[in-house]
Amino acid sequence: MTAILQTQKLRVEYRSREMRQGIKVALLGLDLEVRAGEVFGFLGPNGAGKTTTMNVLLGFVPPTSGAASLFGIDVRQPIARQRIGYLPELTYYYKFLTAEELLRFYAKIFGLARGETDKRIAELLKLVELEHAAKRPIKSYSKGMQQRVGLAQALINNPDLLILDEPTSGLDPLGRMKVREIIQRLKHDGKTVFFSSHELGEVETVCDRVAIIHQGELKAIGGVHEITGKHASLEKAFLEIIGFNSSTAP
Amino acid sequence: MKNIFAVAGVVIKELYRRKDFYVLFIITVLICLVMASVNIFNDPKIARYLKEICLLLVWISSLVIAITTTARQIPAERENRTLLPLLAKPLTRPQLIFGKFFGCWFACGLALLCFYIFFGALAAAREHQWPLLDYFQAAVMHWFMLGIVVAMTLLGSLVFAAPSSNSTICFVIIGGILFVGRHLDQVATSMHEPLRAIVNALYFTIPHLEFYDLRDLIIHNWPLIEWKYIVLALLYATAYIFAFLLGACLVFRRKPVN
Amino acid sequence: MNSPRIIFLLLLALLVFCFGLAAQLSPQFQSWRGSRSGGDIFNVVLGDSRRMFAQSFYVKADAYYHSGYYPTMFDNKEAFQTQHMAEDTGAVNSNNHGDEESFLGPKRNWIDAFGRHFFPDRHTHLDEGGPTDDLSGSENVREILPWLKLSADLDPDNPQTYTVTAYWLRERMHKVAEADVFLHEGLRNNPDSYDILFELGRLYDESYHDTARARNVWEEAVRKWMKLDADAQSDNKLVFEQITTHLAQLEENAGNLPRAIDWLHAAQKVSLTPDVLQKRIDDIQKKMAALIPVAPAKLY
Ligand SMILES: Nc1ncnc2c1ncn2[C@@H]1O[C@H](COP(=O)(O)OP(=O)(O)O)[C@@H](O)[C@H]1O
Ligand SMILES: [Mg+2]
Repeated sequence: MTAILQTQKLRVEYRSREMRQGIKVALLGLDLEVRAGEVFGFLGPNGAGKTTTMNVLLGFVPPTSGAASLFGIDVRQPIARQRIGYLPELTYYYKFLTAEELLRFYAKIFGLARGETDKRIAELLKLVELEHAAKRPIKSYSKGMQQRVGLAQALINNPDLLILDEPTSGLDPLGRMKVREIIQRLKHDGKTVFFSSHELGEVETVCDRVAIIHQGELKAIGGVHEITGKHASLEKAFLEIIGFNSSTAP
Repeated sequence: MKNIFAVAGVVIKELYRRKDFYVLFIITVLICLVMASVNIFNDPKIARYLKEICLLLVWISSLVIAITTTARQIPAERENRTLLPLLAKPLTRPQLIFGKFFGCWFACGLALLCFYIFFGALAAAREHQWPLLDYFQAAVMHWFMLGIVVAMTLLGSLVFAAPSSNSTICFVIIGGILFVGRHLDQVATSMHEPLRAIVNALYFTIPHLEFYDLRDLIIHNWPLIEWKYIVLALLYATAYIFAFLLGACLVFRRKPVN
Repeated sequence: MNSPRIIFLLLLALLVFCFGLAAQLSPQFQSWRGSRSGGDIFNVVLGDSRRMFAQSFYVKADAYYHSGYYPTMFDNKEAFQTQHMAEDTGAVNSNNHGDEESFLGPKRNWIDAFGRHFFPDRHTHLDEGGPTDDLSGSENVREILPWLKLSADLDPDNPQTYTVTAYWLRERMHKVAEADVFLHEGLRNNPDSYDILFELGRLYDESYHDTARARNVWEEAVRKWMKLDADAQSDNKLVFEQITTHLAQLEENAGNLPRAIDWLHAAQKVSLTPDVLQKRIDDIQKKMAALIPVAPAKLY
């Protein structure tokens, strides 16, 4: 299997005006490899550096050192993003557009032909179950509907690789189940999915492989069963790996 | 190019779905109609004061629309995080800047078209003439001036964090240029070095927006300006627009978005 | 995101509220302050700064008279110290020195030179055809009237605004009735103004050919002028000479030659050109001398 997503000794330092003391190291030398066709779970507690890793992969944040590539193309080149779909965490879409207009706009950026766009939009709205609301402005949507619009826009170009940042956070159990279903369907269609989460249950059910990072460092990588190993569950293993000793916990 | 126009299309949609423009347009129309209903010595043919008031309102409204629309574009994208899915697409940052510029600029052009049609109708009702070429010159010059304003505000929105401070700064700078830009070199002569050199340098570097203010000429029915000067002025505006947009691209190029 | 819209709506609401309040209150203001109308709202809102606005609108009228060709505070104003439109009416003495064609001075640099294509850069007068030199449009002086009216509304205590406006209305627009009404309005606000009385007399004399009323008004103007203290009198000699010479002319036409001579003598006391007046006195005396021998002949 070939690596679709790869990082080498990736280091990211944030320099911000608010932090007087200087720099904040978010990633210290991350090596990661995601292979074609797998669903890859990217785990870590809040503040571990998951979003930062994705920001580098998408070219939002330049790496301080190290390299990252998608499909073997350096992420600094926009063309690397032609075949990916991305769902950011906590995003509000243009409130004054309808779902259909939003998808049409993104389709235009991918250079989709008109007929293809129409077909694709109809498919996606069906997939995320928003056909009934397609002509309503997004500002009238609920949180779950917004998240599903996000999924639809990530899929507009029929991408080979999906990068999803906490796709289920803030959703109710039904919403989560739907997102999980969609991920499984994508896997079935042969797509590669790279998603971050700190909800271990869902990771266990859909992932082929997982990586666990903590404080910017890779702590473990491998198949779900490899990592669970001798522990009772993935959750126990996770807590152990990030150094949380359940016996000493209150 | 298609990416630029896709981004521009969203900006234009935003402008006509928000109510700002309609409110300003209605206020302008109302004030002009109230002013037109004032009886001045029983002479219904008096027109120029009305033209002046109308154009003044049009200028103020157009600057408000241009600056406030442009100033919130990129900050709003950041705040709502719509910048992330957008830049995750094969869209380069300069394309985004140019798209935002053309969107705001075309939107201003549409607004201007409405305003000038109203102005033409108002003037024609009093003067019974349609000097279309004169109005065309004035509107095109006005539009290119707004181009400079939009490009400048776009650059400002990347440099200054808060959209409100950016709008205020842009209003002050643009108002300053319109009122004293033409006379800065005269102001400089009454100063001492080094201030004098600075003001002089300013005089030669600022975009002279006052060129584009043809209000007095159309209020008082002056003959057309020679087209070659119009073309030169438009080229001058284009140069400044590109300079500001280039600046914006440079500032935005290395800026982390998250 | 919504804040600009809310601000605009608030502004609109405020505007509506203010108009409503103004409409509600203005009759009450009227009854509190007596008969004076028009100036009150401005007075309340602007206070004394209204005089400044009035002056700037008065200047604006002159700029309109020049079709927008006018110096800014940065330009050389030598040739624009007194308003040309007021000067043309005889309301003020000329105080303009420099060359009217070049308040901009020589072109300073390429920006200045290029910029001059985009604003009015020729000295023209509205009643002489304006920028297109089209003499058929000489009634275009109507365009200065709104600013004069506004200026008068803002500062009703300045007689010059009324006299200048009335002159343009009467002489160039042939709107005698409007000029009459406006002068009376000015007189109500400035009961002691000999300027307004003089202009009113001219209106009666020249437009209505009503000699009796013209005489009354002008004589009243002379009485008002006489009440001035010595300093004020010496500052306002021109108008006194104008009133008295007009009176003299009126009496001469009416055949009251001795009375005409009396007025000319009065004019001589303030005139800068007493010998010109002396010549007129001599002419009238000759006329009288010619008349006297005839008169006795008729007695018989
Ligand atoms: N723009 C930023 N400036 C400074 N520090 C940041 C910035 N973004 C994230 N960080 C810090 O970097 C670390 C990693 O953050 P992040 O990648 O968002 O974590 P998460 O795994 O929860 O997505 C955190 O400690 C966070 O505080
Ligand atoms: Mg995160």
